[in-house]
Amino acid sequence: MLWLGLYFPELPLEVFARTDTPDVPLAVIVHRKNGEQVLRCNRLARAAGVRPGLRLQSALALDASLQMHQRDPAREQETLRELAFWALQFSSRISFEPSLILLEIGASLRLFNGLEALLQRVIAEAPQLGFELAWGVAPTPMAAGLLARERPTSRVLNEPALHAELEQIPLARLTRERAIRRLVEDIGLHTIGECLALPRPELARRAGPLLLQLFDRLLGRAPDPREAWQPPAHFEQGVELQAEIVHHNALVFPARRLLLALGGFLRGRGIATQRLEWSLQHRDGHPDTRFRQGLLKAERDPEHLMELFRERIERVRLEAPVIALRLRVDDCLPYAERGTDLFESSGDRDDSLLERLGSRLGPQRIRGLGMPADHRPEQSIALCPPGHGRSGAPPRGELPVWLLPRPRPLTVSKGVPQHGGPLRLEGGHRRIESGWWDGQDIARDYYQAINPEGARLWVYQERRSGKWFLHGLFD
Amino acid sequence: MPGEPIEELISQGALWRGRAPASPGQRYEPTGWRVLDDCIGGWPRGAVCELLSPGRQGLSLLLPLLAYLSRSERWLAWVGPPYLPYAPALVAAGVDLQRILLVQEEDRQQCLWASEQLLRSSSCALVLAWPEGLQAAQLRRLQLAAEQGGGTGVLFRSLRATAQASHAALRLRVMPSPIGLDVAVLKRPGGWGGQHCSVPL
Repeated sequence: MLWLGLYFPELPLEVFARTDTPDVPLAVIVHRKNGEQVLRCNRLARAAGVRPGLRLQSALALDASLQMHQRDPAREQETLRELAFWALQFSSRISFEPSLILLEIGASLRLFNGLEALLQRVIAEAPQLGFELAWGVAPTPMAAGLLARERPTSRVLNEPALHAELEQIPLARLTRERAIRRLVEDIGLHTIGECLALPRPELARRAGPLLLQLFDRLLGRAPDPREAWQPPAHFEQGVELQAEIVHHNALVFPARRLLLALGGFLRGRGIATQRLEWSLQHRDGHPDTRFRQGLLKAERDPEHLMELFRERIERVRLEAPVIALRLRVDDCLPYAERGTDLFESSGDRDDSLLERLGSRLGPQRIRGLGMPADHRPEQSIALCPPGHGRSGAPPRGELPVWLLPRPRPLTVSKGVPQHGGPLRLEGGHRRIESGWWDGQDIARDYYQAINPEGARLWVYQERRSGKWFLHGLFD
Repeated sequence: MPGEPIEELISQGALWRGRAPASPGQRYEPTGWRVLDDCIGGWPRGAVCELLSPGRQGLSLLLPLLAYLSRSERWLAWVGPPYLPYAPALVAAGVDLQRILLVQEEDRQQCLWASEQLLRSSSCALVLAWPEGLQAAQLRRLQLAAEQGGGTGVLFRSLRATAQASHAALRLRVMPSPIGLDVAVLKRPGGWGGQHCSVPL
């Protein structure tokens, strides 16, 4: 087994920074036994000299405008769950610790073509999530978490190598358990290495069974079962915006975060979607703006979905400033890898082009053209998905290049049909009688006609009623 | 004589000599009509052409090109066509319908946007469009998109657009005649206009 620990060091602050304006000094406060102190603070607070560990009174003395929040573990946990959607692409075995997501990635390495490729994806996508991230890889979950916190970017692939990597880490970082920490202070062992250097019976005698059990799990000598997270069946997430947004462009970054999470979720489950439901929450109780994005085919690539979002959002009217963006996807379909489906085999190498067009204009406006075998002109054109148009046997005779979607009645004057003046009928007629089997039967005589401006038209006379219609145009 | 400043200018296409048939480096698709090939050298690739006519005629001139390009695996796009292309006529002309891509949009701005996207994509060989009220700057954008994508764009416009300055590589005036279409060259890549031909349909 191989575990990836994803540690979000600034999470206590970031859960607030997402809703607060970024241009005020901000600190997250915790209760400690000697009073309230700063747990995390933002860049502006730091610039004023505020540091984690500082007592609240001192922090306020440094910067009276400091905005404070009590630490909110529930909110941190909720945010961690949201981030886990993104992480689902790397593993279906996910568990949580405070500020930490642990993933068993041993089973996914082949899918990603190895550890380095998997890590590359983590490194490429993580910054776009809007959270600071540190990671570590180790054969046990506890070690992966510890390395992510204390030795970011460590990759330890087997248990023997683990020892050396952990040696320097202070024992106090191993656990928050007070009993063990006190024990450690009492016996004067400072680092993990110092403990491990002692013979096991000696360590057991001095530190008791609790610490030994901890080491056994850390080093993989004893099992360390973790409860795996059960993700919900559909995707729904929101982003509260840092500032009220009045322009489309500013929605792109928060949308990217949601689409990355969606991409991870879909990829992890081996599915894709054809319908995204967005809603924009406005200030002052203005009703939400909702819109749907329909795709030509099931997709899941965040970059691609991002392109489509850009096209779509440009056409959304923002009636009021936006304070939150939500995305819901419950229409999930099996995912067909590019290159294996029918569409691809018809030779299209850039179907993101069709997606972009369909996303902005509506998929129903992007059509292919087919020709069913039918003598009736209106039945010999079929609109179909692009790339699926089949050709029938080419008919004989001169044919118009354009067909009117519906025949247009022509007025008749002195027995002559009119269209911009009297029409001159050319050559003989072509009789089309067909369709008795489906109730849309026709009996028509088609003519080429020329109007006074020289335009060549395709007209017909209905044999039963004698009425004239314009049906097509020659060039 | 390479190295000479004047040769350099010519090879860069910055200088055009009156008797050269076209700008160097310009590539063409055959039109399929001998008289038209003689007249314009072919449909320019990576460029936009304008067909100016009283009733937006000229689609027939493109049928051989549609047939020829439909054998490649690229799209032949129709953006906002005024009516339905009569599929049997395309098949009769040898067009493989599988490559036809119809963008059935009426909104002018959306049509322009779609034309630009299609022209810019290398997966699209030909873009036919029927823009109304196209401005010179917009036409220039389309020309740039075609240069990038490498395909051919054909804009069917009314005769009213004749007076407008144009960045299109090729401008033709197309008039219906008793035997087919009369074509007059108003502008062509790296050359003067003024040529005429009559294409029998």
